[in-house]
Amino acid sequence: MTALPKSENLSLTVNGKPVAMPVPQGVSMQEFLHEWLGLTGARMGCGQGICNACTVMVEEPGKLPREVRTCITGAHWFEGKTIRTVEGHARQNADGSLTLSPVQQAFVEGFAFQCGYCTPGFVTAATVLIERLKAAPVPREAVERVVTEALDPHICRCTGYVRYHAAVRDLVLATPGLVTA
Amino acid sequence: MEASTPNLSRRGFLRGSAAAGIAIKVSLLRGTPAEARLVEAAPGPGWIAGGKPRTRLDAVAKVTGAKTFTRDYRARDIAGWPDIQAHAFLIAATKADRRFEGLDLSSFGEGLQPDRLVLHEDLVKDGLAVPPHPDFFGDRFLVPAGETPRLLGQPVALLIYHDYPRYAAAKRAVRFNEDVVRYGETTAYATPAHYGATRWVRIEGDGPEGDDRFSPYRDAPIFSGFKGDEPAWPAAGTDGPFARGMAAADAIAAEIAAAGDDALVLKRSYVSQSVDASAMEADNGNVWYDADTGTLHLMMATQGPYEVAEQAAALVKASRFPVSAIDLKAGTTVGYGTKDHHLHPLLCILAGLYGGGRPVRLANDRFEQFQNGLKRHSFTMDTTLMIDRASGRFRAMTGRYVCDGGGRPNFSMSVSFVGATAAQSIYYLPKSDFQAVALASRAVEAGSTRGYGTLQTMSATEMLVDEAAELLGRDAIELRLANVFRSGQRNSQGAVPAGALRNDEILEKAAAHPLWRERQAKKAAFEAKNPGKRYGVGFAQVHKDYGTGAEAALASLEIDPQGRLTLRHVAHEMGPGVTTSQAVMVGEILGRVPETTEFGVVRWPQMPLETEDQPYTTPQADEDRLSKNPRWTPRFTSPMSATNSAYYLGHATRSAARILRDHALWPAARSLWGRGFGGGSLASYHTMRADELRLADGKVSGAGLPPLTLEAVAAEAQRLGLPVGVTLHTFNRWQWTEGEFELPGTGRTRLPIDALALRYGAGASAERQALMTTGGWHFVERSAVFYPPTQRNNVGTTYYAPMATLAEVAVDTGSGTVTILSHHSILECGRQIVPELVSGQIQGGLAMGIGHALKEFLPLYEGGPGDGTWNWNRYELPRSKDVAVWNQTVEILPPLSETDPPKGIAEVVMIAVVPALANAVAHAIGHRFHSLPIRPEHIREVLA
Repeated sequence: MTALPKSENLSLTVNGKPVAMPVPQGVSMQEFLHEWLGLTGARMGCGQGICNACTVMVEEPGKLPREVRTCITGAHWFEGKTIRTVEGHARQNADGSLTLSPVQQAFVEGFAFQCGYCTPGFVTAATVLIERLKAAPVPREAVERVVTEALDPHICRCTGYVRYHAAVRDLVLATPGLVTA
Repeated sequence: MEASTPNLSRRGFLRGSAAAGIAIKVSLLRGTPAEARLVEAAPGPGWIAGGKPRTRLDAVAKVTGAKTFTRDYRARDIAGWPDIQAHAFLIAATKADRRFEGLDLSSFGEGLQPDRLVLHEDLVKDGLAVPPHPDFFGDRFLVPAGETPRLLGQPVALLIYHDYPRYAAAKRAVRFNEDVVRYGETTAYATPAHYGATRWVRIEGDGPEGDDRFSPYRDAPIFSGFKGDEPAWPAAGTDGPFARGMAAADAIAAEIAAAGDDALVLKRSYVSQSVDASAMEADNGNVWYDADTGTLHLMMATQGPYEVAEQAAALVKASRFPVSAIDLKAGTTVGYGTKDHHLHPLLCILAGLYGGGRPVRLANDRFEQFQNGLKRHSFTMDTTLMIDRASGRFRAMTGRYVCDGGGRPNFSMSVSFVGATAAQSIYYLPKSDFQAVALASRAVEAGSTRGYGTLQTMSATEMLVDEAAELLGRDAIELRLANVFRSGQRNSQGAVPAGALRNDEILEKAAAHPLWRERQAKKAAFEAKNPGKRYGVGFAQVHKDYGTGAEAALASLEIDPQGRLTLRHVAHEMGPGVTTSQAVMVGEILGRVPETTEFGVVRWPQMPLETEDQPYTTPQADEDRLSKNPRWTPRFTSPMSATNSAYYLGHATRSAARILRDHALWPAARSLWGRGFGGGSLASYHTMRADELRLADGKVSGAGLPPLTLEAVAAEAQRLGLPVGVTLHTFNRWQWTEGEFELPGTGRTRLPIDALALRYGAGASAERQALMTTGGWHFVERSAVFYPPTQRNNVGTTYYAPMATLAEVAVDTGSGTVTILSHHSILECGRQIVPELVSGQIQGGLAMGIGHALKEFLPLYEGGPGDGTWNWNRYELPRSKDVAVWNQTVEILPPLSETDPPKGIAEVVMIAVVPALANAVAHAIGHRFHSLPIRPEHIREVLA
């Protein structure tokens, strides 16, 4: 017999803001973001960790950011952690305008997406890749390979992937310090 | 023309008129203006650079994760809705050979019992039946107690929870739980009657361009009922079109049977599997029934918001739930056709009606989407091609195309004949006999899905022709060229396609491509260098129809005294970029993109049109009578489907821009140029013609006259009281409707539209101002209208866009894995509007076709998606590593002229790669598969 889930307190930092509230056990991080916080950018695709439309960045001091699938990870696993969802990548300016992150800007200028449902996952994956390359640049000839490895877990049904990959490749090649001489 | 036949539409869905008495309002979801800007940016200054848009209009919203999809919205996010949200899910039958006896929710415990449980018997008691008639969505939403489900995955109950935690816990408890649904005795299947059979027979008369001896267009397609699982075709004879058509079919069969050694008669059978389009956003909706005001508020993921609103009205009409108004909002969504006329919105409405005043959200998870989402039809196809050995010319082709529609009718019948009428692919056929058969079964319902039957049939033809070339010892592209369908020739329905057919150009380019020319040498070199691997190159070319044969649209364009443009359009965004491209079209004609755009507009008070919405079935005499009413139109608007945005919806935009140019900007510019002594600078150039006017970069010029700013010209148009606002309605039945209108100051003018409303500038005379009484506009009642004859309904299609793909593969003989090394495609799409969007469509279509050819597979019946256990862990979708992401190229034929219209390409781009891959595998391993997908286990079996 299934019991009514009990709640436990959950505290974490989401897009730079502290969040604390009771959350039922068994609730996934994706459900928590959608139903409790109203942040729906980490999208429900499969609920099985297959398509990666739901990923967010976990940021820890002194470590490279990680990409975590929220549909198969319980909300309470994030206790005490700091995460960045797709809603937290662009900077809100004083006049209300947005300054997109370099990855977001590359996707916009590259007409990278169509329906856009999977875009948040691609933003997350590409941002994690860029941060990784800042710490460990790769040779120019390896760029396409590392872009593919970083983005391949993400399923897109509209674009055929080409413009996403090309946008990230071009961004990597144009950003100083990501490619070794 | 002899008597016609039942519903011949591609999408012959008969919309009910049950909306009478219920006010319907449909809108794209927008709360405050600020929220609206989040979803869709205004084009604004600087958006266009060098004639090209810098971004999609919805780009920033999508890349920042803004709430753009219907699925992103809860009641608290929607202005005017209560700040509470209930949730619902369906429990479905996973057996279709047992009686449904009831539910056992004891495993839920007391804490997880639903706040409201809805069963079939509740719906009956409350007067809620499937609208508008049972031959589209079936006869029952939920399985009645004691009856056998019609199909696998049919829901048996709807459970509503007032809070999320209990809903989520209950849903987890029911997933994969086979004890929740109680079944009784084993019974026969309870599938509906088969959905329909048609036959498309043509025998040419005096050559490809001459009058046919028999054809569907000239005579009629043949319809039949069923005897068991077989169509009961009429007897051959001379009395009536069906009998004569059957006689023509018999003649073709006899000729094939009597073929001598001078002909190759190739008979092959093919299977195309059932596929889930796997749109990333699963079906969902949120419904609030406000009993106090009698308003049904809907938030729906749908490609056809109008249809959903009308179906909602029909659903509640005879129920115990009084509804005086329906307020439907639609967010961005994506469906690849599967959100066009799907049942899910109606299930959402049921949930909302039983919400006790709470908004109720019914949102599929992926397992549920597999279980109840529309599928691409599985086809079994028996084909015969008779070829003259000496010339390589096709003498005749026959095919029997049988699709499995699953347990609800939906569009299965039209999918079957759209598929059959596409089967000729890019070839001219002197004689053809194509049977289209739509069967009912216990499979999950299939419906409108990208390709619409043509992917299946044209893939079969392209595999068949490729094999024929091998058997004849001819180059496969050379054989295609010998038979290519050329401009002015008739298709298998007997109609002449629109415009130029450029399949031959594409074939010649493909034949010259290194992938094709060097394939044998590369095969030898690759296989020598890579032991255990086989190399192959495959080619295929198809052309795909676009549109439905009843395409209707509305658009409105206004220019203010500062020269700023406002575009309002009935189209809404599905992903391909329709909002961006429509804005660009305005810029191409008026030299300036709109400052303000509004899409998904459904309130058109200036267009008081009347329609029965029976564009396919209204007899000619009735249409002649009805069209005398200047407010009548065959159809008000079309769903976002059938690849209809660039050409059909764009026609409304382009027509509005041209009318504004010709009837406001042109006379205003002449007025300004004519100012001054003796007729000003125009006096010596007074013979300037309208076609010499140039509008570019916000300037008005031409014929050597001094450039004017658009602002100045717009202000002059206002001062003169010219028509500075244009709203129009368009209708296409494989041909554009034209209307004649008495335009103030111009006189009778023929335009490619059937309804027009104008708004005059502030300087208009009092008499002209007084005309603007219809929502503030002058609805110009047409003086005459010329609808394409209803016989055009028989043509199947006349608008085609072609694409070819060359695919290069390596087959691992140990694992059976097919690796795509590269692919090259050649497309003809008329004039591109936004090349970046076109290339994205091509790349996305190719990926989807690769999935169909090599990966995606669903069992139709037991063990298939109806059992609720399917997800993307076992249903394999193509990823970037599967599509040769860095090794694909595309060539797009330049338009024949700058006035070529854009063609619809959203479907054709995914098709050619499917048979190209099958043909590549055949080249690689020497075995031709006739069943899709070609998965590693199939290859291992062949190579074992």
